Amino acid sequence: MKIHVKVNGKDYTREVAGNRTLLRFLREDLGLTGTKEGCGAGECGACTVILNGKTVNSCLVLAPEVDGGVIETVEGEAKNGKLSKLQEAFHRNHGVQCGFCTPGMLMSVKSLLKIHPKPTVAEIKEAIEGNFCRCTGYQQIIESVLDATGQLKPRKEEIRRVR
Amino acid sequence: MLHEFSYLAPRERKDLLQLLKKHSSQARLLAGGTDLLCEIRLGTDRPEVLIDVKNIAEFRGIAFSEQDGLAVGAAVTCVELMEHPVVRKRFPLLAHAAGQIGSAQLRNRATIGGNLCTASPCADLGCSSLVLGARVELVSARGTRVIPMKDFFTGVKATQLKDDEAVQRVFYPVVAAGAKWGMEKLKRIKGHDLAVVSVAIARTTQWLRVGIGSCAPTPVVAADLPPNASVKAVTEAALKAIDPIDDVRASREFRLAMVQEFIAKLLPALS
Amino acid sequence: MFDNIPDSELKIVGKGVERIDTVEKLTGAALYTGDWVVPGMLHGKVKRSPHAKARIKRIDTSKAEKLAGVHAVLTGKELDYRVGLYLVDKHVLAKDVVRHFGEAVAAVAAETPAIAQQAVDLIQVEYEVMTPALEPKAAAQKGAPLVHPDLGKYDYVKAVFTPVPGTNIANHTKLRKGDVEKGFKEADKIIEREYTNPNVQHVPMETHVTIGQWMVGDRISIITSAQSPFTVRNLFAHSFGISHANIRVYIPYVGGGFGGKAGIHLEPLCCLLSRQAGGRPVKIQATREEEFSMLPCRSGLVYHIKTGVKKDGRIVAQKMTMYWDAGAYADYAVNVTRASGYSAAGPYEIPNAWVDAYTVYTNKPFGTAYRGFGHVEFSWGMERHMDLCARTIGMDPLKFRMLNALKPGSVSLTGEHITENTGNVRLCMQEVADSIGYGKLSAAEKAREKKTGMKIGKAVVALHKAPAMPPFTGTVVILKMNEDGTVTANLSLTEIGAGTYTSIVQIIAETLGFPVEKVRLPVENDTDRDPYDWQTVASKGLLLSGNAGILAAQDLLARAYEVAAQVLRANPCDLAHDDEKVYVAHHPEKAVSFKAMAVGYAYPDGNAIGGPLVGVGRYVAQGLSNLDKETGQGHPALDWTYGAHGIIVEAHPRTGEYNVIKVASAFDVGRAINTRSVRGQAIGGMLQGLGTAMCEGYRYAPDGRLLNPNFTDNKIPTSLDMPEEIDCIAVETPQIDGPFGCRGVGEHSMIAICGGLGNALQNAVGADLTHMPIRQEDVWRALQAPKKAGRK
Repeated sequence: MKIHVKVNGKDYTREVAGNRTLLRFLREDLGLTGTKEGCGAGECGACTVILNGKTVNSCLVLAPEVDGGVIETVEGEAKNGKLSKLQEAFHRNHGVQCGFCTPGMLMSVKSLLKIHPKPTVAEIKEAIEGNFCRCTGYQQIIESVLDATGQLKPRKEEIRRVR
Repeated sequence: MLHEFSYLAPRERKDLLQLLKKHSSQARLLAGGTDLLCEIRLGTDRPEVLIDVKNIAEFRGIAFSEQDGLAVGAAVTCVELMEHPVVRKRFPLLAHAAGQIGSAQLRNRATIGGNLCTASPCADLGCSSLVLGARVELVSARGTRVIPMKDFFTGVKATQLKDDEAVQRVFYPVVAAGAKWGMEKLKRIKGHDLAVVSVAIARTTQWLRVGIGSCAPTPVVAADLPPNASVKAVTEAALKAIDPIDDVRASREFRLAMVQEFIAKLLPALS
Repeated sequence: MFDNIPDSELKIVGKGVERIDTVEKLTGAALYTGDWVVPGMLHGKVKRSPHAKARIKRIDTSKAEKLAGVHAVLTGKELDYRVGLYLVDKHVLAKDVVRHFGEAVAAVAAETPAIAQQAVDLIQVEYEVMTPALEPKAAAQKGAPLVHPDLGKYDYVKAVFTPVPGTNIANHTKLRKGDVEKGFKEADKIIEREYTNPNVQHVPMETHVTIGQWMVGDRISIITSAQSPFTVRNLFAHSFGISHANIRVYIPYVGGGFGGKAGIHLEPLCCLLSRQAGGRPVKIQATREEEFSMLPCRSGLVYHIKTGVKKDGRIVAQKMTMYWDAGAYADYAVNVTRASGYSAAGPYEIPNAWVDAYTVYTNKPFGTAYRGFGHVEFSWGMERHMDLCARTIGMDPLKFRMLNALKPGSVSLTGEHITENTGNVRLCMQEVADSIGYGKLSAAEKAREKKTGMKIGKAVVALHKAPAMPPFTGTVVILKMNEDGTVTANLSLTEIGAGTYTSIVQIIAETLGFPVEKVRLPVENDTDRDPYDWQTVASKGLLLSGNAGILAAQDLLARAYEVAAQVLRANPCDLAHDDEKVYVAHHPEKAVSFKAMAVGYAYPDGNAIGGPLVGVGRYVAQGLSNLDKETGQGHPALDWTYGAHGIIVEAHPRTGEYNVIKVASAFDVGRAINTRSVRGQAIGGMLQGLGTAMCEGYRYAPDGRLLNPNFTDNKIPTSLDMPEEIDCIAVETPQIDGPFGCRGVGEHSMIAICGGLGNALQNAVGADLTHMPIRQEDVWRALQAPKKAGRK
């Protein structure tokens, strides 16, 4: 069937099969490969995008279901060749290691910040709970979010060095 | 990898019922898709047609009246349940149980109808709905029937639903509104997980009920104990209602112990 | 390469510099193998065994072959290639027998993934199911049914490994130091116990993905999610008898490896399908379920430890027997066995030691390298055992560890003499002990116990690990100056997420005296472009490639000085430079810019000198040797990174529910090159270690089927599973041959967490555990048993 969607502010019209997932639609039909597949079963959150204002696992949404929908992905985060405030904070604080969870992680955080512009650590942990990260242990991701929202105490970011 | 199937999204209830009648066992109803699409991906379910119920008004929305109680459309999502003011105020156990499901991403999609129709023994809305005395409205081209939730579940991932039927709404009687409640869910991590054991308790001035998940082929309820029933009496009733198994998530022995722990913890602390 | 430069004189090294690879990763621009589409590309899918052990009676591929859109169908029958890192024991597709659940038995390449899957579903395999070997100790016995009856015929690295034909033992590593029987006679107490670990999956967020192309003329092109491009190339060349020069391996961004992508995995199958499909490229992307069962995991371990201790706390003798559950194929497990064999005692001095470490074949998914390379697994047993020993003689476990810790003057298991510069494990222990308030409960902690009904326990554990690598491991860095005076570095260590590239850029920039922005290190690797590196494993990358980076930078500067000396008519020894130009030290106005020399200096009349500036740095590990096969004596360790964790846990004395309140970790990193990267490795590994400790691990049905090949039943830690508080400490005892004095720390943070958790839980509620992971049910079960030891 034919669907119309708005992805990162741009309109698209495409013919899709019934079994096309939103994830494959974004990656293969629109060429937006920033969004990743980590498990295909809605467990890991790597494929998280924002659909009509709410985060979803795009591996468990069918493309035809989103007809008329508004979708935000990692590719829409930087504007005019500049990283967003959130991306800059991740960059500064080593909130990224292998980077495979990052696109989904950013979407979950973005969604959180719409509701809680200055989230607590507990709120951040709750908000990214559905996004597995195997590299960072989450700490520097949490600090990135605190930094992006002006809440990071500089003292806490460095390792203690002993000779 | 999802096999090829047709996706249909009727806008009218009557069209849905006709489609269900036509495709019958070849069709599956799609709501949140968070269980169904996993089954399809694994090849454990291979329907030819998916019928999306989300565009049908009768399946959406939450209504409440002091006469009829709470009516929740089958396509209402967990997040809608969690955030709905009446549900939060009058049926806090339901809002709480909805919040126990999966991750935020899943709760934005997963629906009450889906959680109940998947009929997993660990369904978070299963044991909580059971203790609230929920009834399920089943619709088909043949007509409508309403059955108690406890009769709806018939086995592991099995329900009373006929091939041409859909769950349209779930009703919660007004008598359960304001019930004292408590719920415990045993997980393997602190993040999102299925219930390894869950226990929900609701108490009104007339009765006390304990619902248990992941300890029998279906969520079960030990219903209508006296409101002042002791921990011992509730535990006995609960143990009579369950028959847990050993599986990859836990042993029977541990499940039995945790059910007892949870009852002992919840009962004195009912809110 | 340590010049003892004080921190104050370093501009870039030692700072929390931003990573060089994050902008692409944050914008979705970073391309991983799964994002790649090659013209003409087909999609591969695999038929996998549902049985742990079975004879393949018949495979019918006729229906699959007839399906429109299918270009290649392969089974083991047509293929006669064996692959193996150290012991060549694995067919690309199972031949005649399947040896583990999930093993690949047939494969298809088709125009779409859907057609490929349909074709795979049409392949019919008839099996004769057999009884699998699932217990490594039983499988190691003489007369046990053999997983590889042909073991005696397999090729293997003879200088290092010792298979025992006619058994399931793929390698037997021996270590003998001193006189262990004499030691036991001198001991006041002998403490003996067995500890076990299951298989564990690495869980990189990106599963294995490969695009392989086998073109006419045996030219091979591979794009793959792998850790080690040259190892893929080398093993491919050996398995198929193709010249290395004909094989190109390209590695884009990699979504995590943790050892699981260290060897060669999907590459041969993709290329064979491609050859069958007339040279069209074939992509296989493993599903998460395939990642758990078709691709390798971490070996299980049964570890038996017998320790002789004096009343005063000194360990006098220790006999250690390891049964490594390799699963169906030896892969890295033989080398895990070797490396853990020579480290088996942890960072403690054992005057009389005896190790027998066996790699045992069983009918389970096979084990490979995994962060820690055996040390996570054996440290579980060893650190539990250290507490048991201390408790038996009535000594505080930290005091017991301090007493027995390796220190200057100690002799390691392999005969290496520990010096001041080897590192300071006692300082690591002291730091974490202080951080967690070891040995007592604070008023706040007591109040918390009262409020929650939980009991709080604390523990300190120690760890060590050296890179497990061939003694001749080498690497190269090439620095090329660009027209504008910036430089581009090429090397073949891969950036799989650890941040090593950023540290290497810092080292190069510091050596050049350039800002970080002037040094570009492309994240992608290409064996046709980049110079050799052995592998991205073993926490050796920063040390070896860092040293090569320093040498390359010095070489580049020397080449530039040669040209500048001519241009400026000066002695090279009188020259100095900044990030723009080379100048005469005592006449700074006499200068020539790097830009002017970058691709050859030209005089105004057009005459030129110099040519494009390139610096080459080659570095090979120094002074290492193979170990004696009978005694295990020799010098295997490039560097030892020591560390310690302090853990505070609270647990419910009846239900076994527990929370990790705090983890403090200290590692002797020599020098922190990038403080934020050290912290990222420390915390990331710590949580991965907690995953192993708390909830991960394979579970099998009695018939050998894997019951939890997915995230539904194989949980990994989420943000809610973090300790409430985390502390990281970098101890800095310089490594004399480390770049700017540093050592690797990629794996170490994961080691010993399990033992620490177990010990803290025992101290809290008395649960005495010998198997990990420690699920709530395990604690609950242990609490049902009569309490053996509680908190004092």
